Amino acid sequence: MEVADRNNREGIIGWLNPGRYGWERVSYWLQRLTGVGLLAYFVGHIYETSSLTQGPDAWAAMLELTQTPMGHLILLLVIGMSTYHSANGIRLIFTHGGKGLGKPGRPDYPYDAVSLNYRQKSGIWIALILAAAAMLYGASVLLGGE
Amino acid sequence: MKIHYITGIAALFVVAVHILMRLIMPYSLSLEYENVIANYHNIPYVVLLESILVLIAIHGFNGLRVILLELRQSKAWEDGVIILTIAAMMAVIAYGTRTIIVASGLGFE
Repeated sequence: MEVADRNNREGIIGWLNPGRYGWERVSYWLQRLTGVGLLAYFVGHIYETSSLTQGPDAWAAMLELTQTPMGHLILLLVIGMSTYHSANGIRLIFTHGGKGLGKPGRPDYPYDAVSLNYRQKSGIWIALILAAAAMLYGASVLLGGE
Repeated sequence: MKIHYITGIAALFVVAVHILMRLIMPYSLSLEYENVIANYHNIPYVVLLESILVLIAIHGFNGLRVILLELRQSKAWEDGVIILTIAAMMAVIAYGTRTIIVASGLGFE
């Protein structure tokens, strides 16, 4: 068969198409990305709070940098990331312990995995909804004003 | 993974308290220098902050270690990842502990 006749060469677009993967794959990637994002925020947070040791002027300068619309936006993202990462992490702990996987089944066509069931999907959705709710509440505190 | 799960669950509780401390008064007021320093003079809160520091550092850098080890497997890479993540963990804990000690007035200045 000539290379030009093949119709399965989708390239990068095929790799990025989320439609070919299930929600479990989305959840996997979100768990890892939120984890790395939270680690980066954690290191930055440790650094920014160290300005406390240099006195009120240094602390005020740090607050001018972080208590801005961009700073609040970043904090909102952190709120969403931490809520999703926590809720999905709890789901993963149960899954690792075998809870919510169901009984093993014979692999019949179309070979849908028994373990990728509605319990797992609803767990992922609960994590996403909790993250959205937390971000909404965070927005009301950060952007709503006192 | 047991360390990862235990530190994750424990961090959930202590971080929740840490966040709630910002909500016991208006948010912007809670960030004023005097109020933040007052937090650091509360010994149970200082213990909480130190526990957050240790738990999150272990959980975060261990997670990074897992991701990097799944990316590539060779003796040099694995040894490097383990050494670097443990070193980074210790550096962050040391720097954060310094802040806690100085801000709480428990250490030598």
